[in-house]
Amino acid sequence: MLKYVFRRILFLVPVILGVTFIVFTMLYLTPGDPAALILGTQASPDQVLLLRQEMGLDQPFIVQYATFLKNLILFQDIGRSYISNSPVLSEIIPAFFITMKLATTAVIFSMVIGIPAGIISAIKPYSLIDTVAMILALIGTSMPIFWLGLLLILLFTVQLNWLPASGYDRIDQMIMPMIALGGLSTAIIARMTRSSMLEVIRQDYIRTVRAKGQTESVIILRHALGNALVPIITVVGLQFGSLLGGAVLTETIFSIPGLGRLMVEAIKMRDFPIVQGGVLVIAIAFCVINLVVDLLYAYVNPRIRSQYK
Amino acid sequence: MGKIIRACLIVMLLVVSAAVIAGCGGSGSKPDAAKTKDILTVAMGSDAKSLDPQGSRDIFSNQINRQIYDTLLVMDEASNKIVPALAESYKKIDDLTYEFKLRKGVKFHNGEIFKASDVKFTFERAITPAGASIGSLVSNIDVGGIKVVDDYTIIIKLKTPYPGFLAVLSADNLSMLNEKAVKSAGKDYGQNPVGTGKYKFVSWKRGNQIALTRFDDYYGGKSKIKDVVIRIIPEGTNRVIELESGGVDIALDVTTNDVKRVEENKGLQLFRVIDNSVTYMGFNAGKKPFDDIRVRQAFSYAIDTKSVVESAWRGVGKPATGMVAPNLIYADNSLKQHEYNPEKARQLLKEAGYASGLKLEIWTNDRKERIDMAQIMQNMLKEVGVEVEIKVFEWGAYFEKTGKGEHSMFLMSWTVSINDPDQILDPLFNSKNLGAAGNRAFYSNPKVDALIVKAKAMDDGDAKKQAYQEIQQIIMADLPYLPLLNGEQVIGAKKNVKGFKASPGAVHNLFNVSFE
Repeated sequence: MLKYVFRRILFLVPVILGVTFIVFTMLYLTPGDPAALILGTQASPDQVLLLRQEMGLDQPFIVQYATFLKNLILFQDIGRSYISNSPVLSEIIPAFFITMKLATTAVIFSMVIGIPAGIISAIKPYSLIDTVAMILALIGTSMPIFWLGLLLILLFTVQLNWLPASGYDRIDQMIMPMIALGGLSTAIIARMTRSSMLEVIRQDYIRTVRAKGQTESVIILRHALGNALVPIITVVGLQFGSLLGGAVLTETIFSIPGLGRLMVEAIKMRDFPIVQGGVLVIAIAFCVINLVVDLLYAYVNPRIRSQYK
Repeated sequence: MGKIIRACLIVMLLVVSAAVIAGCGGSGSKPDAAKTKDILTVAMGSDAKSLDPQGSRDIFSNQINRQIYDTLLVMDEASNKIVPALAESYKKIDDLTYEFKLRKGVKFHNGEIFKASDVKFTFERAITPAGASIGSLVSNIDVGGIKVVDDYTIIIKLKTPYPGFLAVLSADNLSMLNEKAVKSAGKDYGQNPVGTGKYKFVSWKRGNQIALTRFDDYYGGKSKIKDVVIRIIPEGTNRVIELESGGVDIALDVTTNDVKRVEENKGLQLFRVIDNSVTYMGFNAGKKPFDDIRVRQAFSYAIDTKSVVESAWRGVGKPATGMVAPNLIYADNSLKQHEYNPEKARQLLKEAGYASGLKLEIWTNDRKERIDMAQIMQNMLKEVGVEVEIKVFEWGAYFEKTGKGEHSMFLMSWTVSINDPDQILDPLFNSKNLGAAGNRAFYSNPKVDALIVKAKAMDDGDAKKQAYQEIQQIIMADLPYLPLLNGEQVIGAKKNVKGFKASPGAVHNLFNVSFE
């Protein structure tokens, strides 16, 4: 098992190299000169040229990329922001933790609502409760985040004045972002739980357990859910990963200074070091989440565990 | 079976009720308005980039820096006159030499005394890479010729005669720095600002908020409110919602959609002032078809500026009649709105050889109101037989492509932060600045070039006024740009906010504000 984990962590190296290369190439090819953007509308071309040299932007692509890699590997330094001149990590790490907090609450929310809703729907298929839950889930998957976010603000802030429309420090500030961001995942998880559970509870071994006189709660929660869990975990993991990188709409609507917003601003201003650093952090987080998901498979399913040995 | 459903439902119910309870508790625990009268909370649309005044020229950074720093001179917006600030008085020795007497007893936030050496340091730093962003501001100053006479007297020399340089000294980006503070913070100075202003820096949570507190050793009258918190709220609607629900006291940049809501709310007030920005349509006079003045004139006849502005901006701002914003000194406010006459437009196009119509692209960046403007103009141009395709670019790409002259028509705006018409006329109209340097219309008229240089060197007075008005009349006849909109600063505030004044320069003083 340890060997497996170690191998997976080693895999991170080519992934990160690949990611940095792709991002570097894309940024290089995008029109828009960072030096011109920093200096703004009122700078002369000479000043822009001078700043380009200062920033090393006049170097060929390969030299720029090699310098980036050298600094990353030798000095663990990914540079300073072109715009604010502060170290990249000092901007990215706080933003990452804010997004992490947001994504974690959203995932917990969607699991706590989505999995029970899916279970109920599966054990009472085609009942009223199932229909209502699945209609809600359909709405959830179809509703754009920014629209849901604005509706929530309209109801809870403007009409009822219960919740603040922005911020992230206190629990009450996190409720609406959590629902807006978690809404889609909740729906996806509920639908996945339902279909996965439906498949499992029709199998022979469930009938056998039931024939042995086991109580219904043990049958559903241990025997059925245990086996239905693998695809659910996959979905939860994927959702968590995409929430980390894709919380930008929620962050914008609720004024949360997370990684998504930081990255969008950085892309607009061609702040290459921040974009590089942000993508690096997201890529690593995604790989780690995938690893955790794979390990969780082994934990919930003994058959998979035996393969790791 | 029933048990499981019940259990599941209970779990879900618990989560929802926990959320609701937390929500209600949250609103109950909001700081009591009566007790927090010593904190002014302001909502701003974007974070500052750097709190080093020489680090960035954007208005958001300047908005914060204005509260932290002082300049040598300031522009009195009511009279359009330069008045003393850190410089107590100044004297013109000759066309290229000015002597400044500095105010005594001024302290920086780190306790250092403000002296002539700090002034020298500030200008010297502005021409190093650290001041690259503001290089164009000091391009007229002969930095090598700055002479410290004594601790409170300094002589500044210019490269060419430029009386408007006094207005340049009022620019936030030329705020006075403390040599010791800048050197000890090194590269991190942008996050650790030290000024002489009424508020000093406390903390900065990136993308979230910046906190300032009153500087008790300020040389002049102290501000009434102790603490200022500037919160970054990018969504316009959210800024107004926070204003309505009591999360902030002042909301900067109220968007067109929300103006009415603030107006109709009895607990709020609205501050409005036409600002120093002009939004225009530029024609690329360097290539076909706009190298022909008749085509440019035809387009101006085809566009009904008033309805473009009113439909896209719904009452914010006003239709522009000239390229120099009306509040600026020497603006020619006698210029009339150009005529809307589609018949004449068709006639001119015919004369220019485009009787069978014309196909073109109009470029804009992704700002919503600009896209709206482009769409309205697209319909108007169709009326006169011009087929227009709208191309929307993201700012970085837009900036680069228009600088290279790849466009034929484009929408852009220009904001002047210093009260001097040269700040728009030279970059946009002087043929030495073609392309990325500002003249994206690739307009060239030797007479205008000469007049710009001449007017810049003239002392204030009627002759200068005449020269500037002549330029403005020529460029409106030549029409490299069609002015469309004078922007407006719209700021919402709670009714109990007193002493706030919206500035046409788009950077607002917060240190005069108090609560009723």
